[in-house]
Amino acid sequence: MKRVFVDLERCLGCHSCMIACAVEHSLSKELFKAIQETPLPKPRIEVRTTEKGDSFPLQCRHCEEPYCIDACIAGAIRKDPETGLVLSDEKKCVGCWMCVMVCPFGVIRPSLVPDKREKVAIRCDLCQDRETPACVEACPTGALFFGEAEEFKKAAGKEGGKKNALLNSG
Amino acid sequence: MHYLIVGNCAAGVNAIEGIRKLDKDGEITVISNEDSLAYCRCLLTEYVMRARRGEDILYREEDFYKKNRVNLILGKEVVGVDVADKKVILQDESFLPYDKLLIATGATPKSLRIKGEEKYGVFGFRRLSDAEEIIKIAERTGKAVVFGGGLIGLKAAYGMKKRGIDVYVMVKSPRVLSQVVDAEAAQIIGRWLQENGISIRTGIGPQEILGDDEVEEVILDNGEKVRTNLVIVGKGVMCNTSLVKGSPIKTHWGILTDDFLQTNIEGIFAAGDVAETTDIATGNRTVNALWTAACEQGRIAGMNMVEMTKRYPGSIGANSADFFGLPFISVGFVRVREEGYEQLIRSNPKEFKYKKVVLKGNRLVGFTAIKDIENAGVYTALIRKKVNISPVKDILLEDYLDYPKVRDLLEEKEGLRESISMQGDTIRIA
Ligand SMILES: Cc1cc2nc3c(=O)[nH]c(=O)nc-3n(C[C@H](O)[C@H](O)[C@H](O)COP(=O)(O)OP(=O)(O)OC[C@H]3O[C@@H](n4cnc5c(N)ncnc54)[C@H](O)[C@@H]3O)c2cc1C
Repeated sequence: MKRVFVDLERCLGCHSCMIACAVEHSLSKELFKAIQETPLPKPRIEVRTTEKGDSFPLQCRHCEEPYCIDACIAGAIRKDPETGLVLSDEKKCVGCWMCVMVCPFGVIRPSLVPDKREKVAIRCDLCQDRETPACVEACPTGALFFGEAEEFKKAAGKEGGKKNALLNSG
Repeated sequence: MHYLIVGNCAAGVNAIEGIRKLDKDGEITVISNEDSLAYCRCLLTEYVMRARRGEDILYREEDFYKKNRVNLILGKEVVGVDVADKKVILQDESFLPYDKLLIATGATPKSLRIKGEEKYGVFGFRRLSDAEEIIKIAERTGKAVVFGGGLIGLKAAYGMKKRGIDVYVMVKSPRVLSQVVDAEAAQIIGRWLQENGISIRTGIGPQEILGDDEVEEVILDNGEKVRTNLVIVGKGVMCNTSLVKGSPIKTHWGILTDDFLQTNIEGIFAAGDVAETTDIATGNRTVNALWTAACEQGRIAGMNMVEMTKRYPGSIGANSADFFGLPFISVGFVRVREEGYEQLIRSNPKEFKYKKVVLKGNRLVGFTAIKDIENAGVYTALIRKKVNISPVKDILLEDYLDYPKVRDLLEEKEGLRESISMQGDTIRIA
């Protein structure tokens, strides 16, 4: 199953992934129009920092046994039996934030539906309409990798010395 | 193998899925005294405010039961369990045999225990049928009185207000949410509700309900009279254990369960609002009557009905809601009244902002956040995993406390859910 993997050592914290993600999930899908939309589109990947100050891009891990599914009082979150992706149906979401409350990674966030005032919980959907997620395409250093876990391990391993690579589950 | 599940909501539905994970062939029967397919009970608020219609709140697609080969019996009540003969007794005195039984009967609103309560116009806020009746009267009269300031009472009040109904909440305690958050947080939320048009009065309860067959007036315990045709009761819930009365199945607050959610009788399990489990934050036996707990327990009980393999890590009191755009989350033990706990608080009541953590020694046991709720789940994980939080104690109240800051702490611990990615997501390539 293809996932986004992160090579933490390569991330420079430039936030290109965040911008690309927000644009991809905007109404217009164009940067200069997206920044004028209300509400301002939010990214589903965020570059955070470790206690040492190192950059740490983070998005939904699509957990094997996700807490968020149990927590969703609207039955809006499902694990796709084929792809293993944990996806939220934003039309069903009522904005109760139960998923925000239980996600151990803090990667589900309150947001507003584009063009509407309704509140929904958003998360990485691995860009269902694209071949490669927007964040991966936008990453200038190759810190984000889209592929199978085995491929990633090989790629990261060959060059050696890459500790702390963040691997998605699933 | 015949699996029988009594109750068709969060716990029951997840039990079906739990069973089907491990046993594709066994026979499953689900029986419920409600008439509708499983629906999202918690969305009665959205239903009342017209944000969702009846068909929008179904918990699973209509073909769910067919797909999972479930024999669904609706509108029938189980009144007894014959443990010796392995069968349940229905109200019409018929029987249903089982090999494995799950009791997922949930809970019922507590009554007011006052005179006149049986009159038409007094409702709990629990069933779709309650909501339907409530709407009928509210549309006619435009007014509702809610007794109880817990989450259910407030959710009912919020739904009504959003529908344009005048709502009067009366709370016996000095503030709303007295069982959910601490006094300061409760004050902030209460003030917000009032600013948004919900009338709240504290220190007041009902004494008697007047009217012929229908409610016309309520006498309050201060002697005052309030005219209304609609009274909503939000005084907490009690476990639906009546079906096991007279059987050897042991109960306390709820039906007692072990680490596998089995009762004291082999082959009989309990899950959801009816089940008493161990609280992760406090270590006490309790009923955490919550959707999240019901789903997890249902699934685990279902799996254990097939094969006793899955340990239940315990439940955790965890609430989240959003009233008029003000979100709040509260997890674990937060209403500190005794020695031995440390509380760190950042409060800005003017802006309706609040954040608090409760520590016991070097463990996080509770957490409340109002308004800024991002990363709340990281705190929940720290509570669940009983992590030593000393390394991050100084930044616990900061908005930037996020997963990367506590990753090492969380990963040192073995996962509570073996397969969750928390410890599996790191590969260290030398
Ligand atoms: C308005 C509202 C809002 C809520 N909001 C939240 C929230 O935001 N977050 C949260 O965590 N929780 C919330 N809850 C609580 C949540 O709904 C419950 O914890 C959850 O429904 C429990 O599921 P359950 O399957 O254990 O029991 P129930 O949902 O009570 O279902 C049990 C079923 O069994 C049936 N039954 C009972 N006895 C018998 C019998 N003898 N024979 C046959 N059938 C029987 C019942 O009629 C019912 O259909 C809310 C509840 C309400 C009412």
